[in-house]
Amino acid sequence: MLVKCICKVYMQNVYAFNYALFANLTTSQRASPASTFYEQLSKLSLMSSKEFFTDRYRKLGWKYHTVELKKTIRINSANVKKPPDLVKRLQDLGLVLTKVPFLKTGYWVEESRFSAGATTAYLSGLYSIQEAAAQIPATLFTELKDKTVLDACAAPGGKTTQLADLMRNTGAIVALDINRQRLTALSNQLERCQIKNTIVYQLDARRVSQLETSYDRILLDMPCSGNFATDRNWFKRRTIKDVKRNAALQREILTETVKMLENDGEIIYSTCSLEPEENELNIDWAIRSLNMKVEKISGYGQEGLTEVFGKHLDGSVRNCMRIWPGQTQGFFVCKLLKSESA
Amino acid sequence: MKPIDDFVSLFGASISLDESLIVKKSSRYFLLSASLKKLTLKDFFYAGAYLGKVKNGRFFPGFELLRMMAEKKANRVVVNMKTEWLFICGRDVFKRGIVKVTGPGRKGDHVLVLNCHGECLGFGRVVSDLGREEESVVIKNISDIGDFLRREARTR
Repeated sequence: MLVKCICKVYMQNVYAFNYALFANLTTSQRASPASTFYEQLSKLSLMSSKEFFTDRYRKLGWKYHTVELKKTIRINSANVKKPPDLVKRLQDLGLVLTKVPFLKTGYWVEESRFSAGATTAYLSGLYSIQEAAAQIPATLFTELKDKTVLDACAAPGGKTTQLADLMRNTGAIVALDINRQRLTALSNQLERCQIKNTIVYQLDARRVSQLETSYDRILLDMPCSGNFATDRNWFKRRTIKDVKRNAALQREILTETVKMLENDGEIIYSTCSLEPEENELNIDWAIRSLNMKVEKISGYGQEGLTEVFGKHLDGSVRNCMRIWPGQTQGFFVCKLLKSESA
Repeated sequence: MKPIDDFVSLFGASISLDESLIVKKSSRYFLLSASLKKLTLKDFFYAGAYLGKVKNGRFFPGFELLRMMAEKKANRVVVNMKTEWLFICGRDVFKRGIVKVTGPGRKGDHVLVLNCHGECLGFGRVVSDLGREEESVVIKNISDIGDFLRREARTR
């Protein structure tokens, strides 16, 4: 009984507190521009609700809806002489596959009687399981053979093995990650996929200069807030504070890795976040602060946003590619080059 | 590299690796390419092709080494589809699951186990002469590629 009473009083206080916050915010919203409003919300730690984020998406031009993602595989071309034969072999086993129209080696698993990761072909490295949008970044580099490539946030290794596959095991990939357990997973992927051109270091990407190497190509698949399409508890888990923290980390990584890029080099920047702070706003910042330029990429997805919550961004940010969840998870990707004045 | 050469010879084969490109990290051996070697610092986590490790004086091969051996004339058996999956699940090989034998196949020999696509599934030790009529287990599983799934489960 006592416990019940305590709970009741506690809950009444919580409601009262939340009401006070709401009233405060609503007043602020009327009085302040959007950015001030969001900053204030952040301070009050209320910015984690589904409504909050879906409202942001609406303001960015996308109406929230739930999505069901299909499992996607990627054929490791270097290990498969005739991809159609492998597709037939997997279909004979009971995997129903359809080609992903915007990927050269990607197939959606429409139906399967067993896990796509439980076949001899998978264990022999003939294909990998990799979400469709996540297969895009590595394909955006021009010419990878014999290049020195940095994969700055490499684990668990889906994109690293894809890069190695595109390079046909030539040149060299330097793959970094900070987490030892994730590096073990990465190493297992490399061994399974028969990758021979990669060296893995346990190193924070922000300390990449320690390796004293410059790179022709840099893949920055950034640590990010993720998106609801791949995490059913995403809205419960995430707050705007996480988004801002990740955005700051991404800027630090970008700043340090750009220093190691050859003058004619390319950076592919990607996140699986829908939040503009981690995407367009960071790229706009890189153009202004790091003297980078955004090269036009085309393919599946929409142009990058050039107006975010009332803020006008550099026009070239539209050269980025934003993918709202649907056939794939949410994703953002762009190609950065050093501008001539850099 | 003696541990590697000794292991490969168990299969009646030999492979020649450029020793200048082999690096040993703790007890693990890696084969690098020339371009990779230039970038290799002392404290790497993984590099090039993993050849295997020595533990308690015994050599445990990486699957890349087994694949390289499969391209040479190493002793081997080819198994049928049902046995292929059982072997990957860590099971031993029965005589009736073997489609083809290359090499003497004597008791005590080591053999690679391949599927009908020529993919190396792992290796085992012959526990009963492969030429004899036998209904029981003839190859004891020592290592198989199902280990990748077991490792995934451990690192998840």
